[in-house]
Amino acid sequence: MKAPRYWLIAAVACVFGVGLTGCSVVEQGAKILTDQGKIKESDRASIVKTSQALRSTFSEITDQEEYYIGRAVAALVLSKYKVYDNRGMTDYVNVLGKAVSYSSDRPETYGGYHFLILDSDEVNALAAPGGFVFITKGLLKRCKDEEMLAAVLAHEIGHVSAKHGLASIKKSRLVDTFKILGKEAATRYGSKELAELTGIFENVLGDIVESLVEKGYDRKYEYEADKLAVKFASGTGYDPNGLTRFLKTMVGGVSGASGKGWFKTHPSAEDRIGKVDSSIGTMAKVPKILPIRTERFAKSVRGLKP
Amino acid sequence: MKRPVCWSVLAGALVVLTVLLLAETVVVKIQSTNLRKEPKFYSQTIAALTAGNSLEKLSSQDGWFQVRTSAGVVGWIHSSAVETKKFNLLAVDKSMKTQASAGEVALAAKGFNKQVEENYKAKHGEANFAAVDRMLQLKISPSDVEAFLREGKLGEFGGGK
Repeated sequence: MKAPRYWLIAAVACVFGVGLTGCSVVEQGAKILTDQGKIKESDRASIVKTSQALRSTFSEITDQEEYYIGRAVAALVLSKYKVYDNRGMTDYVNVLGKAVSYSSDRPETYGGYHFLILDSDEVNALAAPGGFVFITKGLLKRCKDEEMLAAVLAHEIGHVSAKHGLASIKKSRLVDTFKILGKEAATRYGSKELAELTGIFENVLGDIVESLVEKGYDRKYEYEADKLAVKFASGTGYDPNGLTRFLKTMVGGVSGASGKGWFKTHPSAEDRIGKVDSSIGTMAKVPKILPIRTERFAKSVRGLKP
Repeated sequence: MKRPVCWSVLAGALVVLTVLLLAETVVVKIQSTNLRKEPKFYSQTIAALTAGNSLEKLSSQDGWFQVRTSAGVVGWIHSSAVETKKFNLLAVDKSMKTQASAGEVALAAKGFNKQVEENYKAKHGEANFAAVDRMLQLKISPSDVEAFLREGKLGEFGGGK
């Protein structure tokens, strides 16, 4: 009798799951079957638990929600920094970043990738969820060629692609959100729900901005973004040693809470270089740096140099 | 003993059928994108797509799906632009490990949306949404990226994929 019951549960879950009506239907369906004696209470609990698990991890945040979270995080970043207003240089960074995004694991996001230069001498790069990427003038000055800049942008695209910003949201926020969303579908919220959701939204932004600007991500995310940077940059055709060379310019900087910008929010350059070197070491073929790219880099950022 | 056999055959057939049907449909989950003639971003655009468009999936290649639109146009879309409608069967009986969720696209307008942003904005004058809107105006066309790759001997024009 075991086999038929298994199939029944699978079929029910599958059919209800398809209905594009969300988890509450799964829960109702499971309850009906329990009431009719078709499945046991323990099976019902299992189905319901699974459907809830589906909606309480950051990977369940839709691309559109990620976009709105990213917009607000970007708006907060842009309240702290001024934009460096140089159309030619900004276009260059955008076309380069976009080219790298094509070779990433996630070239398409809800609102697409956009890159801005921040008018600050601090060395820093930030990515808000969904693809809002910022680099400072100070960081751009550290880059000596296109491979280095491509590697830095690839690192930031890595954070977006692997959704590290969303992963830094505390789980309780998602549970709170889904409690509200669990109620009936509405395209516009009533004032009570809206106030509740906005409150959660503020907390979500707080979690991300804290990671992005203050504490930095968990180290494992930084190492993962470096690994992805090697993958995406070399996938585009850049020499991934651009990342190592960039990190070498950061050696000796004060990392941790007393540091500034990237120094404050990233593990030490020394630690990262070793890991990056070993991930490049596993590659069958490593693209080579080309003078034509270094020349166009120099031309594109000429205005920066004193 | 006839009844359980009947159940298992029926339910089994239903599952197989459902999975087959589901594997064929994908839904656009990003604001806008294009259907392309070939599986690359700077390939010729053959149709404009927006969030919620349903597409019939025909095949896949290196992260791209070949799909057919409701109007019958066949072309390519990157897999990161679509949601695959499926429900992880294994997760139901065994573990909680699952990424896909049915209804995610349908719920897209819910949660943190424009209305929540407007409400947030009204309370937080310091958040610089105007600058974000200007940032979103920075648009680079795929043909600009193609020219950039070509000039730098990158991507298919050099050492990349």
